[in-house]
Amino acid sequence: MVLILLTMVFVLMRVAPGNPIQAALGGHLSHAQLLVRERAAGYDKPLLVQYGEYLRQVFTGRFGTTLTDNRPVSQVIAQNGAATLELSTTAMLVAILVGLPLGMLAGRLRDTWVDTASRLFGIVIYAAPVFFLGLLAQLLFGHILGLLPTSGQASPLTQLDITPHTNILIIDAAIDGRWADIPDLLAHLVLPATTLGLVIAGVMVRLVRVNVIQALKGDYVEAARARGLRERRVVISHALRNALVPIITVTGLQAALLLSGAVLTEDTFNWPGIGNQLLQYLENRDYIAVQGIITMFALVVVAISLLIDFLNAWVDPRVRY
Amino acid sequence: MTQTGTLPGASAPLEPAMEDDPTRGSSSSLRRLMGPLVAARGLPRWLILTGAAITGLFVILALFAPWLARYGFNQYTAHGVRFARQAAPSAAHWFGTTVQSEDVFARVIYGARTSIEVVVIALAFSLIIGVPLGLVSGYFGGALDRVLVLINDSIFAFPYLLLAIVIAFLLQGSVGGGVFTAAIAITAVYIPQYFRVVRSSVLSVREEPYVEAARALGARPRTVIRRYVFANVVQSVPVVASLNAADAILTLAGLSFLGIGMDPSVAAEWGYDVSRGVADAQAGFWWTGLFPGLAIILLVTGLTLLGEGINDTVNPVLRRLQTRPVVLPARPEGPGGPAPGSTRPTAVSAPEPLLSLRDLRVWYGTTRGPVRAVDGVSLDIGPGETVGLVGESGCGKSTLGRGLMGLLPTGAVRDGQVLFDGHDLLMSSAADLRRLRGPSIGMIFQEPMTRLDPLMRISEHFRELLRTHLPGISDDAIRQRSLTTLGKMGIPPTRFDQYPHEFSGGMRQRIMIALVLVLEPKLVIADEPTTALDVLVEAQILAILADLKRGFDVSVLLVTHNLAIVAEACDRVAVMYAGRIVEQGPVGAVFAHPDHPYTQELLASTISLATTELHFIPGAPPDLAAPPSGCRFHPRCPHVMPICVSDAPPTAGAADHPVECWLAVPGPRAGSEPSPAGPAS
Repeated sequence: MVLILLTMVFVLMRVAPGNPIQAALGGHLSHAQLLVRERAAGYDKPLLVQYGEYLRQVFTGRFGTTLTDNRPVSQVIAQNGAATLELSTTAMLVAILVGLPLGMLAGRLRDTWVDTASRLFGIVIYAAPVFFLGLLAQLLFGHILGLLPTSGQASPLTQLDITPHTNILIIDAAIDGRWADIPDLLAHLVLPATTLGLVIAGVMVRLVRVNVIQALKGDYVEAARARGLRERRVVISHALRNALVPIITVTGLQAALLLSGAVLTEDTFNWPGIGNQLLQYLENRDYIAVQGIITMFALVVVAISLLIDFLNAWVDPRVRY
Repeated sequence: MTQTGTLPGASAPLEPAMEDDPTRGSSSSLRRLMGPLVAARGLPRWLILTGAAITGLFVILALFAPWLARYGFNQYTAHGVRFARQAAPSAAHWFGTTVQSEDVFARVIYGARTSIEVVVIALAFSLIIGVPLGLVSGYFGGALDRVLVLINDSIFAFPYLLLAIVIAFLLQGSVGGGVFTAAIAITAVYIPQYFRVVRSSVLSVREEPYVEAARALGARPRTVIRRYVFANVVQSVPVVASLNAADAILTLAGLSFLGIGMDPSVAAEWGYDVSRGVADAQAGFWWTGLFPGLAIILLVTGLTLLGEGINDTVNPVLRRLQTRPVVLPARPEGPGGPAPGSTRPTAVSAPEPLLSLRDLRVWYGTTRGPVRAVDGVSLDIGPGETVGLVGESGCGKSTLGRGLMGLLPTGAVRDGQVLFDGHDLLMSSAADLRRLRGPSIGMIFQEPMTRLDPLMRISEHFRELLRTHLPGISDDAIRQRSLTTLGKMGIPPTRFDQYPHEFSGGMRQRIMIALVLVLEPKLVIADEPTTALDVLVEAQILAILADLKRGFDVSVLLVTHNLAIVAEACDRVAVMYAGRIVEQGPVGAVFAHPDHPYTQELLASTISLATTELHFIPGAPPDLAAPPSGCRFHPRCPHVMPICVSDAPPTAGAADHPVECWLAVPGPRAGSEPSPAGPAS
């Protein structure tokens, strides 16, 4: 799967019209200078050689240097990627905290008003584009109520105060013991993470509900009732636990949704994440940066699917061997 | 339900009508497409109708945009006068105007046109490419299938918006932004979804007996795909299509929000308008972003409702049993079922029965009317006695067993009297009943493979059970008791901490029995405990059941359709037909002198070494929603008489061997000739 994704990225970037160097720097440099840059980037070599070169880059973790602002791509990924990681992990947490209980409740109390309300919540919240929800949240909490910051990852002062270690600002602040900065960082995180988290929760409610309904129909659930176990025990430790197995799998599939949503959320809230950065590089036609960042996304996707496999093996003894 | 089928669960009597899909095997795709709406009831129907209404509204907006909107989407003057900039909603501009003086209402309506256009093109492309790929991949399998699946999974796992962004961006560079560019970018994202859905439904249809039969008969692959597979696949496409359309609109809005794919001078787009609305909103001009945003929410909600509604109706997992409230009618006087108390005890067994049923009725309320699964049953089980309950599938045997335990599905109603060890089970609260289940009444099920929780060790099953019923029991005692019981079932202590999937079917059934016996219940209901097992394992389980009487001194109600098992393991036998017990008595007496024609036919149908010719009972048990008049067996009875058709037979015969049959009644039979042959109409 890794290889297929990488090949896809490579092909995608090579079908781009024109050549990357000219696209990015054409007009700024003389023809001779362009040729030199092209040779340096290896664009004069045959495609297959370029492909091999690309794979080598991926495995050594060196993606070259961006064309437009001359930063090593790996540095861009480390810095902006950390902000994205912070945002999407928190959002996932929100999604699980909201979506899991609501979906379980809906499945358990099927066909009651609780179920209908949860389903409608799930459908409508998912129907709302994350950027529109973000806009509403900004208006309400930022401008009307004035409670929360609506833009960026930290106030400028806080930003200066923190020395980067992991590039995840909250962790960095904690490492250096600058506890005073943490409330500011959290306040900046609340709106973007909740907005993105709620959208994902909308999908989760629906998925969890279906799986809980299915699990409650399980033969072992009836057998557990026949043994006189308390209803709460039957539902929680038999039905819900079994529902968790497929839920983990589909939650993993939501990673695609999470990362897509993150790009939009970052744009809406000016979050200095990798998605925001990617859009800038795209606009400047910096294909080397774009290729590196897309490659990183592909690797993250693979990492998440591995993580899901491990989680499933942990929950389900049938998968363990 | 066929004569040879087995009764899988309490809800079984409901199933034949529900599962009878009249369109099955027909190739009428249109009927299949419309099927869900016709079949949908209650909430799903409401979901489908609301969803369709909202979607329809937007389609109309899209089609008639030029007539519905007073201005063009990028028109900022009319009659030579420039509109006010960022004007609040008013009579002239219902949704206000933008910073470029455009009419927001017009932009919302033209935005609908853009969205619908893009979605239609994208859906068409994804269908044209995704469905055939899925069909071919699923049908032929092999290396082609593996490669396609891998590619698809990769695309599917990748953040779809990023993919769309990159594709749209590259296309924009060569052909410019617009509806087509956006549609292509979105198509690339959704092909994998169609591929997946179609492929997996092809895989499941391919294994269906009627498709395998068609292939075995030499139908060409193309014919098989077209006639059988495609017709079934078509069913799942509407769900995916409406849900994907919803996603596609969100993706389009996302792309435009980021300013990619759609050239703002070519068409109005909601996402683009929202992105411009962000700045406006912070300056107090809330209307420019709000209305396009609401339009997105509304349309996507509509499409999702549509998809969910169809899914609720089509997906067998989500399809709920349609239940209707049913009220048990007052008992008819006379032979059909005298009031409890006035009835003489049928079949006196031991002096004081452990379990005593009097005129028990269990009816299911369904859309077809009440299903009389158990309809006036009286039965006693003495302490330490094993009673076999026999009859064909669909006669209410399993319902009877579950009815005793209070384990009926919703929609079932009961009345009559069930006395167990001093408790009236029908009067007991749910909590009291729960406390009886386990310590006093245990249940063994038909399918041991699925009855243990796959995520729990055997030890955890025991710990949970013993802690529930014996609060304060120590871990040591739990272990001691469990291992002793398991040991009697032949499960070694070394396997105590293993998971269910590590055991064979026979071992799992022995574990299930141990889970029942560890609490030393007085009564065990065994619902076809050996049906799902092979012959050798069946013998083991029967030996265990026989030991129950000696070793554990429990009473057993053994539900089965296997008469040989009854002969071997039971003291008494009760024969059930169409919701009633037609004959009961000591096994020896009943088997030697069966009085009821149904019992005679059942016994004649058993196969032994002496069998030279197969005997079977013509016909099938009746539909319990509309049982035959008079004696319920009369349509299949070889000795049917006129009175059997008109009147239900009374209970007759010896006190320990009662029979419900006119043949056993001395009086009325005199004078009435047996009718010639076959069922009277």
